[in-house]
Amino acid sequence: MEPLLAARLQMALTLGFHIVFACFGMGLPILLLVAEGRYLKTGDAEWRTLARRWSSAFAVLFAVGAVSGTVLSFEMGLLWPRFMGTYGPVLGLPFTLEAIAFFVEAIFAGIYLYGWDRMSPRAHWLSGFPIAIAGLASAVFVVTANAWMNCPRGFTLQGDKLIAAEPIKAMLNPASAPQVVHMILAAGLVCGFGVASVYAAARLLGKDSPRMRHAMTLGLVMGVICAPLQAVSGDWAARMVAQTQPVKFAALEGQFKTEARAPLRIGGIPDPESETTRYAIEIPGGLSWLAFGDADHVVKGLDQVPKSDRPPVPIVHLAFQAMIGIGLFLLAIAAWTGVSLAWRRRLPQSRPFLWTVVVAGPLAAIGLEAGWVVTEVGRQPWIAQGWMRTRDAVTNAPGIGWSLAAAVAIYAILTAGTIVALRHLARK
Amino acid sequence: MEPDLILLGVMLIGLTLYSLLGGADFGAGVWEFNTALRAPEKEQALIYRAIGPVWEANHVWLIFVVVGLFAGFPGAFSAIFRALWVPLLLALVGIVFRGVGFIFRTYASGISEKYMWGAVFAFASTGAPFFLGASLGAILSGELEFTDDGGFAGDYLTGWISSMSVFSAFFGVGVCAFLAAVYLTREAHLAGDGALCKKWRTRAMASGLWMGVLAIVGLGLMAAEVPYLWEGFKTRAWPLIGGSVAAGCFSLWALRRGRFTGATVGAALAVASVVLGGGVALYPALVPPAITVESARAPRDVLWALVACVVLGVAILTPSMIYLLRLFKGKKPAAA
Repeated sequence: MEPLLAARLQMALTLGFHIVFACFGMGLPILLLVAEGRYLKTGDAEWRTLARRWSSAFAVLFAVGAVSGTVLSFEMGLLWPRFMGTYGPVLGLPFTLEAIAFFVEAIFAGIYLYGWDRMSPRAHWLSGFPIAIAGLASAVFVVTANAWMNCPRGFTLQGDKLIAAEPIKAMLNPASAPQVVHMILAAGLVCGFGVASVYAAARLLGKDSPRMRHAMTLGLVMGVICAPLQAVSGDWAARMVAQTQPVKFAALEGQFKTEARAPLRIGGIPDPESETTRYAIEIPGGLSWLAFGDADHVVKGLDQVPKSDRPPVPIVHLAFQAMIGIGLFLLAIAAWTGVSLAWRRRLPQSRPFLWTVVVAGPLAAIGLEAGWVVTEVGRQPWIAQGWMRTRDAVTNAPGIGWSLAAAVAIYAILTAGTIVALRHLARK
Repeated sequence: MEPDLILLGVMLIGLTLYSLLGGADFGAGVWEFNTALRAPEKEQALIYRAIGPVWEANHVWLIFVVVGLFAGFPGAFSAIFRALWVPLLLALVGIVFRGVGFIFRTYASGISEKYMWGAVFAFASTGAPFFLGASLGAILSGELEFTDDGGFAGDYLTGWISSMSVFSAFFGVGVCAFLAAVYLTREAHLAGDGALCKKWRTRAMASGLWMGVLAIVGLGLMAAEVPYLWEGFKTRAWPLIGGSVAAGCFSLWALRRGRFTGATVGAALAVASVVLGGGVALYPALVPPAITVESARAPRDVLWALVACVVLGVAILTPSMIYLLRLFKGKKPAAA
């Protein structure tokens, strides 16, 4: 296998794996705080039992997330030494802040997970807050660094040597805010619907208890709150991409030609050979209107750059469509829940609804992965948009194919081990 | 004070703390081999209770050092991660399986599954410090050379192997085992388990003596094979080496006299002095012979921003860390 492709696949695998655990690492502490807070307020022991069981699941997910995160910090150097050698300092500030946040998370995770019987209930509950706050902070810092790769700024090069950098300016690049918000809400969707999905499945299998209903409600509420907000943040992120990364925007919309009154395409298969997107339902002027607020606005197409500067359009477009489709599906669940709450003053309990929620859990995770494909594959052939190509960043060490094969095997073991551990916890 | 010096100092302290805290976690896994991976339930319980609350935090130090290196000294970072492609990948595999081995064992459902993940934990706990030690040794050896465009001039598969790197690999595993044995002697004592305490005390003293022998061999090897480093030790780092010898001897004496907190402090100081001494002897080189602090460092404004981050980090992390350690490592650990 070509070394560049092997390195990219290894990065995609390890990042795609880690991001799911990171989402639970962000979302579960919040659910834990709510559950334990309910126990402190009502004295209902069911809530405490729920929090204790979730804390064991959190221990497993956090540990796997921590080691897979360590892998990423090494891989940046092992796979992309030339990128890090030049631009590492520009990204140093967010990564150092992230390391501090992760430290706080790890310290308080130890306190929270092992401190159930060593602290007063109230002190124990309070020790969960730093975990939740640091988890969100980690996301902010890491995504900021990724946003910089999309909108690099705040540095001066002389030849290919970095001679000055403004780390704060680099952190506050135009992609940071929309990407951070989009990622945190995605974590809420993945964790919320993931949790709800597990308990919905259990109820469909005929198990039922007040605790399980509590659990499903908490997960569902988290997902349902995030779904409409995610629609708004997605629109914000897309308009940012249209402004700052017109080529990526054209790829995700399958827009080959630069044109005024560009149509919004639903579905469709882009064909880079003939430079057309076929079989799409087109809404005339829709894309111009969505991106620029004016149905007659000119949208730049892929034809603005030579073919060698374009990302693989079919992958990016399909991933984008998948993400949007899943987002709309989750939004529909939110609407269903909202209508039921307004009408009957309770959450929907019907079997079709439970089935829908069961499906929503895995779909939310797939949507998350699709979103990362959009932003990462959509930036190709660049690792730092407009500044360094991915192929110029990759290591020239031999045997990347072997390391990819090893990574596939190791992550398969991690996945299996996580599933076994979680299943065991669920049965206890 | 120059920002690059401050940052280097902080990273060296980070590396030291990683050796003292993360190293002891590795060491606990190394000892599982001593019982052919079938340690009595009580013995394993002590290990797992000791590591449980703190291992996540103990291992963040490594990430801290890695991030500091690429942010502050990108030239050294990209050189190290190219030249040490093989040992760092292997160390990474060890780090991954050490972490998941521990957590999957904790939540394993059956006896055989427990043993399987316990074995994974033991092998990985040994492999990680072995290859991290080898990596440090390869850097110290002064044999890593680079081309003008920054590529590794040696062989990617075997270029990292030298007498120094092989020695450091074994030294690294030994340090971990020694620290773990001393710490666990204290924990067994605090838990009031006399038999277990005695067992760990014997292990601690045996590994301590062995480490003393190994350290002498190491100094000899350095004098013969790595002259520039030997020079650094002779001119600058000798007080630290002297301190290490003294602290190591004190630790053994305290173990004999049953003063386990003193022994813990002595062992930690002995290991810390070795790490700090290595750093002091290496300076101003980062990856000798060619890559130095000056050639590898980031622009000044970045370095200052990182120093500011470190100050913030110390302010937040110190009280948190103290709280964690007081809760779980204080005078009275919980019965179970």
